[in-house]
Amino acid sequence: MVNKLIISNVLHRPIRTAVSVLAVAIEVGMVILVVGLCHGLVNDSAHRMEGVGADILVQPPGSSFLIALNQAPMPIKIGDRLAELPRVLAVAPTLFLVNSVQSLSIIYGLDLASFDRVSGGFVYHSGGPFQAPYDILVDDIYAHANHSKVGQTINLLNHDFRIAGIVEHGKGARMYIPLATAQDLLGAQNKASIFFVKCTDPAFREQTADAIRTLLPNYSVMQIQEYMELMTSNNLPGLNYFITAMIGIAVGIGFLVIFLSMYTTITERTREIGILKSLGASKTYIISVILREATLLTAVGIIAGFIGSVIMRKVLIGLFPTLPVQLTWDWRLYAACLALAGSMVGAFYPALRAARLDPVDALAYE
Amino acid sequence: MPSHTSNPSALGYVCVYRPQAPITPVILHVPQPAEGERKDHVEPIISTKALKKVYRLGKVDVPALRGVDLLVQEGEFLAVVGPSGCGKSTLLHVLGGLTSPTDGQVCVDGNDFRLMSDADRTRFRRHKIGFVFQRFNLLPTLSARNNIAIAQHIQGNGFNPHRFEIVTRMLGIEGKLNHRPYALSGGEQQRVAIARAVICEPKILLADEPTGNLDTENSQVVLDMMRELNRTFRQTILMITHNPEAAGVADRIIRMRDGRIISD
Repeated sequence: MVNKLIISNVLHRPIRTAVSVLAVAIEVGMVILVVGLCHGLVNDSAHRMEGVGADILVQPPGSSFLIALNQAPMPIKIGDRLAELPRVLAVAPTLFLVNSVQSLSIIYGLDLASFDRVSGGFVYHSGGPFQAPYDILVDDIYAHANHSKVGQTINLLNHDFRIAGIVEHGKGARMYIPLATAQDLLGAQNKASIFFVKCTDPAFREQTADAIRTLLPNYSVMQIQEYMELMTSNNLPGLNYFITAMIGIAVGIGFLVIFLSMYTTITERTREIGILKSLGASKTYIISVILREATLLTAVGIIAGFIGSVIMRKVLIGLFPTLPVQLTWDWRLYAACLALAGSMVGAFYPALRAARLDPVDALAYE
Repeated sequence: MPSHTSNPSALGYVCVYRPQAPITPVILHVPQPAEGERKDHVEPIISTKALKKVYRLGKVDVPALRGVDLLVQEGEFLAVVGPSGCGKSTLLHVLGGLTSPTDGQVCVDGNDFRLMSDADRTRFRRHKIGFVFQRFNLLPTLSARNNIAIAQHIQGNGFNPHRFEIVTRMLGIEGKLNHRPYALSGGEQQRVAIARAVICEPKILLADEPTGNLDTENSQVVLDMMRELNRTFRQTILMITHNPEAAGVADRIIRMRDGRIISD
């Protein structure tokens, strides 16, 4: 019976219902998308690094695990010393360049031969390896996002590059240029930002890493699994605060809208609450009716938020194919719980106010 | 000046159950006392003594009831008449447990309101009182059926289809049960409200100007229904009215003025 009362009340005020549901949907969608985007970016970056195929990453002293921030180059001849270590199969010196045209991205300056030995080689969707100093390889996602084709010229770092090949995504960056060209552009001759080290067997990672630490005592030496463990949003400075702030704003929106919605409902239905009280409805009964109505609105809003986030993800990926948005079920559940909790808190005061209404005053309410 | 008294025998009405023929041929189960159990005097279902109610408006105390002594026997149909502001509605609200008395004694069906909390009075109202209002006070979003059924739901005894059928048939609203209040005439709405009030078999039906918003024809229908409820269910009814014809339906009429009973 209460369900009938609640449903009929909800249907009786379709605009109020729609606004409340929309607010909860925005709240849920915002949480899911913001978290999905942050986690997507971090995880995508980590998985692409893992996709290079290296077992060990060697960086200059004092480097961060955020390798994009490390442009302080090391002498490239260090690579020769690394290659001489036992159980080292290949070493790929790579120089990072930051491209800020259109969007912020990292360009790898790489020695194709050594990089292929570490990574197992690129899979070419079209075109082939570098033919000239100002040739560039782009991955398929970049090519799709920018409608790029082999032979096309793109301007990066104030230079025109000819697209020599389009490769399968997942090996570090989305764009690759020859190491020598990168060194020229950075003025860092015979230097590299990182050495990707491939062991003869992954089982030798630990021993090899120790050997490298002995050889290069102050350098940052990290096994790939250590890097993967570090590349989470918890370890990225400020990211958690950002996520928390965004969640706080989203929950605040949901709380306020449900609060206002239920508050106006109580005012509008003062007489009806008086009727229920005249029939002997207890305070608990009245609170239950209000909270259940808020729960219904929230539940519909949560479902709408789930659907909306899936649609928004498709729209975002359609507009920005390089933008990874990861929608996870645990964060969907978390967003739903947050929305429900916010709604319950928002509806509780109006419910309490309704329960405390004087029945005589409520029945006389015009 | 008040003619009310604490001696039931002096009130001039018969306080034992007297079965009378129903107006419509509805078969009802009416509990009847065994021959040996009949008494000339029974405990009143409502008794008030020096009942006072003062409302506070800002810094001003407004006395609505200034000492009401009243005894009502079970099965009685009582009309309360008087000018606006004389305290009729306040008396009804106090007897129904909607508001607490400021002073004096109120005992309804053995429940002393002085000893009852707000929650106790709510529970009491749920099980013992049915209200009928001038403005019908139906829930606008629910059908007539659900407006009646929600009273049973609040009472917590679940839906009783037998009782539901009897009441709706007696009130002649079987064909209107799926209509919402806005699709019903005033008379129909009031009959639904009466059905809602009596569906849980309350000890007392409190009616506040039940014909106040109705035309003559519908008023008569509603009054007939109430009379019939009184006779067939032995329903105790306390009805407030301005209408002398409506008051004439009752067994007993009391008149109020300035928060006091002036004649009985």
